[in-house]
Amino acid sequence: MIKLPKQQTQALLTVHGWSGVLLGLLLYAVICTGVAAVFAREIGDWASPLAQPPSARLPEGFDGAFRGLAKQVEPRFHDDILLFPAAGGRWNLLFHTDEKDAAGKPVERGTEFELDPATLRPLARRDGLLDEIADARTSNAVADFLVDLHVRLHLPNPWGLLLTGTLGLMMMVAAVSGLFLHRHLFKEIFTLRRRGGLLTARDVHVVAGTWNLPFAFLLAFTGSFFSFATTVGVPAMAMVAYNGDIEAATAALTAKKLPEDATPATPADLDTLLADAQQRGGGGLAFVQIEHWGRADGRASVQLAAPEGGLIGDIYLYGLKDGGFIREQPFLGHVPSLGNDLVLLMSPLHFGNFAGVWSKSVWFALGFAGAYVTLTGMLLWTRRRGEQRAWRRMNSAVHAVGYGLPLALALAPYAYFLLRGSSWHPLDTQGLLFLAVTVALIVYAAVTDDLARYRRRLLAATGAALAGLPLARLASGGIGWSAAWQQGLASLLAVELALFVAGALCLRFALRRGAANEALPTAGPAVRA
Amino acid sequence: MSDASQPSRRRAWLRGLLAGPLALLTALLSMMAGALWLPEGAAGLDHLVLPVVFFPVLWAAWFLYACLDPRLLRGFAVVAGAALLQLALIALHVMAAEGAGA
Repeated sequence: MIKLPKQQTQALLTVHGWSGVLLGLLLYAVICTGVAAVFAREIGDWASPLAQPPSARLPEGFDGAFRGLAKQVEPRFHDDILLFPAAGGRWNLLFHTDEKDAAGKPVERGTEFELDPATLRPLARRDGLLDEIADARTSNAVADFLVDLHVRLHLPNPWGLLLTGTLGLMMMVAAVSGLFLHRHLFKEIFTLRRRGGLLTARDVHVVAGTWNLPFAFLLAFTGSFFSFATTVGVPAMAMVAYNGDIEAATAALTAKKLPEDATPATPADLDTLLADAQQRGGGGLAFVQIEHWGRADGRASVQLAAPEGGLIGDIYLYGLKDGGFIREQPFLGHVPSLGNDLVLLMSPLHFGNFAGVWSKSVWFALGFAGAYVTLTGMLLWTRRRGEQRAWRRMNSAVHAVGYGLPLALALAPYAYFLLRGSSWHPLDTQGLLFLAVTVALIVYAAVTDDLARYRRRLLAATGAALAGLPLARLASGGIGWSAAWQQGLASLLAVELALFVAGALCLRFALRRGAANEALPTAGPAVRA
Repeated sequence: MSDASQPSRRRAWLRGLLAGPLALLTALLSMMAGALWLPEGAAGLDHLVLPVVFFPVLWAAWFLYACLDPRLLRGFAVVAGAALLQLALIALHVMAAEGAGA
């Protein structure tokens, strides 16, 4: 039990409520989308599958295909070349360079090929500025919509990142203040009274919340880091240490410190080089950067996925002139450091991707518990003050967001599937449908006088929407279940099974007698502080 | 509005000022000043990276302290004092850098 004087307890209670309710609605949106985004790769593969399962390894013959494509782009784009995976096992190969536009502003321009992983033939070609190229990528649109909502709430940079970073800070404050507020913390971790009314609902909230406290802190901390590192951290460091020169600060962190030599040279075989990297590190390819292709100082940086049982994949640096291994390359700097290790730890801790689908499932479950705690916390808080008109309105808003957001998220991919092939960008169609559903549900919540029925209806609609997604995919010409089974697309079938199960669970909760009263009590004593 | 509620309301606003903008500013200055006194490490970047990594914790710590100190005046003194100390460190560094450049 953590004892605090009454005044400080009151102050913490205010902080806990303020951070939990005022920004809770946005925080809930970030958590909900983050829960789904844990499986962003699987969702992307499911929505845009190819005829064969995705693989983190390239087939033999990549070197020849690469050289053929390199001849098709402007030589200046050989300056910096990126290779990275996309939905369904596709590979994006981006040739680009830095230049200045007519106004003297630095821009990046290039040509990107989307490659079929089996044949290495281009499925698409995209030319222009890097922003335009990024906009033209559509295969991963379902996952991108979720991730963008999670990362920056679809707001322009840097405002979206600053907002989600602030929400992460509020989540940290809520977690820490919750730790101090719940006086019988360790007793309450195991307390679940099976009675109707507020006590049961409060018990579930407290048990889920207390078990989830360390994880909530971890996610909030790492999430805030991702939001603030580039928007606040690097500019602030550049201001102090590099007279405000952000490019100089970035270069100091990422420079490989190798000698420059623009003499033309024939690059070594990439198949051999990539095979050597994968043999050394034991993981599949995650990201490849090739700089100065065709020059004597050409080099390739090969980042591997974490090997089985590992937390972080290695990065290896090779010289292109002879294909020789230069060194293991830290993500930051050119020699190992504490700062580099800490930054690298942030990704597996935030995304839970260090042990494949198992760790992702744990992260999904803990994230789901976090979303549940956020929602029930807001419901308890607003219902307890239900005698005040303003809080009754807030309670309607909490219902609209709490139950409306999952429904809007479940409906958004329908726009992708059913309007695939139209001239509209799939991110726009999903966004418009999401917005329309959200507005309709907010209006419905504002006019209804029966929030319990509202909740049941939205749960039922969410269940139907989730279970219908595989059918929408099939209706849009997606690969059939039999063919997917024969071709080994296990991930696709697993996602569809998960959607059916999630849909059935939502329907079950919607139809359960008295379900509304269990989750949302109408009377009872106040939550103890 | 009663007269008695005025000091209480003013205290609430002052507490908000302390825990909100002032705590954020102090966390930012703590992060920036960290680049000046933390060890660089073998790669010469720890002093730049560690403050950025721990910025969320710095902010949360200053925020919670600003909320919890029962004596508001002391809270302002500690938070503002820390901010001024960090600011002085940064200003001295910038002036030294400009002097060396000149």
